[in-house]
Amino acid sequence: MTESGEQRWRVIERAEGPSDGLWTPSRRGMVMGASGVAMAATLAACGGGSAPAPSGGESTDAAGAPKKGGNFRLGVTGGGSKDMMDGQNIVTKPDQARLVTAFETLLEFDDEYQLQTTGLAESVEADNPKQYTIRIRDGITFQDGKPLTADDVIYSLQRIGTQKNGLTGYAATATMDIKNIKKVDDRTVRLPLLSADSTIPQTLASYTFGIVPVGYEAFSVTKDPSKQIGTGAYKLKSFTPGQESVHERYDGYWRDAWFDTVTITDFTDATAQINALKGGQIDAMTDLPANQVEAVKSSGVEALISQTGGWIPICMAIDMPPFDDPKVRQAMRLIIDRKQILEQLGSGYGQIAKDLYAPFDEGYYDDLPEREQDIDQAKSLLKSAGKEGLAVDLHTTNGAAGMVELASVFASQAKAAGVKITVKNDPNYYGDSYLKLAFSVDFWGTRGYLNQVQQGSLPTSPYNETHWPPKSGTGSDFGDLYKQALAETDTNKRIEIQHQMQKYEYDIGGYIIPYFNSLIDGHSSKVKGLKPSKGTLNLAGFGHGFRTIWFA
Amino acid sequence: MSATESAPALAEGVETPTPPVRSSALLARSLRLWRTRIGAILTLILVLVALVGPLVAPHGSAEFIAKPFTSAAASNTVFGTDYLGYDVLSRFLYGGRSILVIAVISTAIGVVLGVVIGLVAAYARNALDDILMRAMDVIMAFPQIMLALVAVSLVGAKNWVIVVAIALTTAPRVARVARGAAQPVVERDFIGATEAMGMSRVRILFGELLPNILGPMMVEATLRLTYSIAVISALAFLGLAANPDAPNWGTMIQKNQGALAYQPAGALLPILAIALLTMGTGLIGDGIARTAAGIDRERGDE
Amino acid sequence: MKWLRGGGIAGFIIRRLLLGLVVLLLVSIIVFVSTQALGDPARAILGRDATPDRLAALQKQLNLDSSKVGQYFHWLGGLLSGDLGTSLASSQPVSEVLGDRIANSAVLVVLAAVVSVPLSIAIGSYAALRREKIFDTVSSNLMLVLAALPEFVVAVLLVILLSTNVFHWLPSISPVPPGTHAWDYPDELVMPVATLVIAVAPYVSRIMRASMIEVLESDYVEMARLKGLPERTVLIRHALPNAIGPVFQVIAINLAYLAGGVVVIESVFNYPGIGLALVDAVNAHDIPVVQALAMLIAAVYVVLNLLADVATILVTPRLRTRL
Repeated sequence: MTESGEQRWRVIERAEGPSDGLWTPSRRGMVMGASGVAMAATLAACGGGSAPAPSGGESTDAAGAPKKGGNFRLGVTGGGSKDMMDGQNIVTKPDQARLVTAFETLLEFDDEYQLQTTGLAESVEADNPKQYTIRIRDGITFQDGKPLTADDVIYSLQRIGTQKNGLTGYAATATMDIKNIKKVDDRTVRLPLLSADSTIPQTLASYTFGIVPVGYEAFSVTKDPSKQIGTGAYKLKSFTPGQESVHERYDGYWRDAWFDTVTITDFTDATAQINALKGGQIDAMTDLPANQVEAVKSSGVEALISQTGGWIPICMAIDMPPFDDPKVRQAMRLIIDRKQILEQLGSGYGQIAKDLYAPFDEGYYDDLPEREQDIDQAKSLLKSAGKEGLAVDLHTTNGAAGMVELASVFASQAKAAGVKITVKNDPNYYGDSYLKLAFSVDFWGTRGYLNQVQQGSLPTSPYNETHWPPKSGTGSDFGDLYKQALAETDTNKRIEIQHQMQKYEYDIGGYIIPYFNSLIDGHSSKVKGLKPSKGTLNLAGFGHGFRTIWFA
Repeated sequence: MSATESAPALAEGVETPTPPVRSSALLARSLRLWRTRIGAILTLILVLVALVGPLVAPHGSAEFIAKPFTSAAASNTVFGTDYLGYDVLSRFLYGGRSILVIAVISTAIGVVLGVVIGLVAAYARNALDDILMRAMDVIMAFPQIMLALVAVSLVGAKNWVIVVAIALTTAPRVARVARGAAQPVVERDFIGATEAMGMSRVRILFGELLPNILGPMMVEATLRLTYSIAVISALAFLGLAANPDAPNWGTMIQKNQGALAYQPAGALLPILAIALLTMGTGLIGDGIARTAAGIDRERGDE
Repeated sequence: MKWLRGGGIAGFIIRRLLLGLVVLLLVSIIVFVSTQALGDPARAILGRDATPDRLAALQKQLNLDSSKVGQYFHWLGGLLSGDLGTSLASSQPVSEVLGDRIANSAVLVVLAAVVSVPLSIAIGSYAALRREKIFDTVSSNLMLVLAALPEFVVAVLLVILLSTNVFHWLPSISPVPPGTHAWDYPDELVMPVATLVIAVAPYVSRIMRASMIEVLESDYVEMARLKGLPERTVLIRHALPNAIGPVFQVIAINLAYLAGGVVVIESVFNYPGIGLALVDAVNAHDIPVVQALAMLIAAVYVVLNLLADVATILVTPRLRTRL
């Protein structure tokens, strides 16, 4: 194991107990340089699987000892006939739940959104800034009994990195030298990079970087449940897109898992979900509306509230009028009443934000002041920009809970500053006009800062709604700073660079980020083992692949 | 399909009285019935609420009061707050106008269109009749809510799309009834007489035929209005209103129904309003139908 | 049209069938043309994840290129031979995607019809016989109230009453897992069927009442009474058959309405029928599925109307003679 080696990966401290100040970035958490992630010596013992939840999901509190049995029925909204099953791809929320039943990643995030080597790799080391070595844990088998080997890992990464496969993670493989991944031995893989990238470990822990066996193909291709073979705890038994999928426990699983079966059912509407949960027709549901949390408590339903780094931004394209003038962007950011919006949309569940993202990143710029509503200053900014009585269309869609409401509420708040915002709710928004609009609403989940920049704030990003960074003048060196940060091996220096990047975005960026939302899920009181997680997925990463939860 | 040949039309149950009753006389006579009076009063009250409501609302339609679904006592309001923390009573008072205006406009367009097509078809008695009614059949093959749903999904939830979709689906249904009611009138001698007098077709259609079918048409119009209100609120319930967060009775039901168990006013008020409104128009239609059919003649009450 | 007349009942049915086919052909053209406006299905499927690379991959996979006219005739030919194409969203045959859902919706509609039709005919007839008496007044007003409640309101109220808040007798949702049948879950069918019955019964019973009153006041019923026939015979042999004619039309229209209008009810009860499938397919721009559903619903409408016409002619003696 690596702890005796070069010690390039710093030891990861596990945050104990419910965290204070939920989302304040934990400086004592692992510090990740270009040399990557380190692993705690204690983690070496994880393979055996005597503890219920190696990756931070365990709860040894009053829940009692976990026991086997039962059919866990999960109701999920947001699905439809386009539902799919692929170890490395999703289009809907039920797809996320399905993916984690059967597929696992090399590294994993714990509930504090810190990287852990509890996954399929016992180590991921940076040999130098442009080369990583992945060492696979021993004794892991796929659900058909075949042992996991280096070939599978290579196949998996190359499948994601092949553009024509159109997989979710493709953009994140940009720095990987996909063609030249080499097998060192059966359990060791060498991953060369095209350019230095310290975010590789985080990328490998993203849930869409599931490890699939050589020759794997999506359900839509094979149409055969028995071909959906991963290393995860549950094996696909049946799947009807838009309706339901049933998963059975894999007895050769390398960790513990408790349910006999997991059933994932599509719902069209939260009210039906809540009713089904109250009536015992399902055991858990995703996305309990915030304004229902208090109400459901009386009927034996428990709410799992996880403060995440998810955000619903209002996006101003910085190169399109009227937002090509930084004063107008600044005015908009002063018009919004963040506290009121958090009350209205989140019923207070969430954390006020200040137009910056990635709050769990160690490099999050905490010291920048919060932004308060200031209508007078906004008005004078608009006046000096010659944009008094501004009228503008704000485009939104029903892509994620709160997107339409945010637009409506912001429009009503803007009236105070004499700005007339017309909300355009367009069902074909993402298909037809996304990324081409001056003023729009979007949604994002939890990510590290540099990963997020790579996704949404660079000229090469696939989802750059604000057309950031500026092509000239202040902030135009944002892209260079990003590359420096990626290659920077010294943590403090990297944080400094990140602060400079965030200062640009804070001063003249195109995002209005009112608050970081909470993921709120509902579950019956007989479901044990759930505790809040800062990660992207609902129900604490769907009970960490449905293995750290059980029936009392 | 039934409209060609001599298969009975939907309206056959409603025979027109002879001699023709003027529409104002028909209304006045129908108002002697208690059910028409109650219907008129209900409708009037709801229309009043919808039109005057915004003027008397205690709060603005987008004025934040307290956390979503706060009780009346805690938020110091009459009915508490809604899903966005706005005042339920004010949202209710604001929320009738749009639904009523859209329903009335779309129904009016549909009824006028349908009556014209039905009369022309009934009077033509030839290939034009067949063609018109076949065309109506094609449109009618799509259920109203389905056509509206597809149209709204295609073009987006804009008010004019909803109006067009409802008018378009209302017209053929009205046309069928109009044609069915007009057919026996066309067969009568006095129409032949007016033709012999060389009266213009337009005058025959609207001067002679139309007054004779006003009874069933008024019944049909109120029935269609009832349907339109239901379709518009159902679209809103499915999340397809033009502005999903503007005050609107249909949207209010959808967004506030989750709190029906503990903050019921947000959904119950609009449910009651829509139910009473459709009941009112239904009662008026019923009253006119009874009067026109000569039932309860000169009785004045039930 | 003279050439369309003659031939008795058989000729009538054949003419109706042919006209129905013409209507369906026109419907097919409208359906095909309007669904082209749905836009790029690849974009709709991927939604926000429509990055150029994923988009290109999917577009190629879906084979979205060839002339529109050719596509229409190919599609029509497929329809006639029972091949409905492949769902763009799930890349499974449309017949496979919709098979269970059609069966599920059919169960709902048929059950609703079986309950509501006799019930509303009985209520309507009895109300007509007891005109202006207590039963008539109560039932007419009750029906008026029920007709005034939009069906989603009825559904929501039923759930609150019978499932979640007042009583806990029935399950609040009816998900019908794939591979099973709707009738395997009778308790889950109660509320959806009840909602549909409440949506349909008021209209049918109102028309039945009006029609019955008209018939009861007609000359031939008067004649039958004068001839000294027993009241029971007058009602069942003479009044009912004549009164029920127009009602068939209303039943047909209401059942056709159910076939397309179950959307709202399926959404409340999370019931996997064609209504939910339609909403879903429209959102996903899944053209083959939208087309198949639109044609199905139109065909149901045409067939129901055909049946209603034939039934009306057969039960109404005075119409039969006019053929």
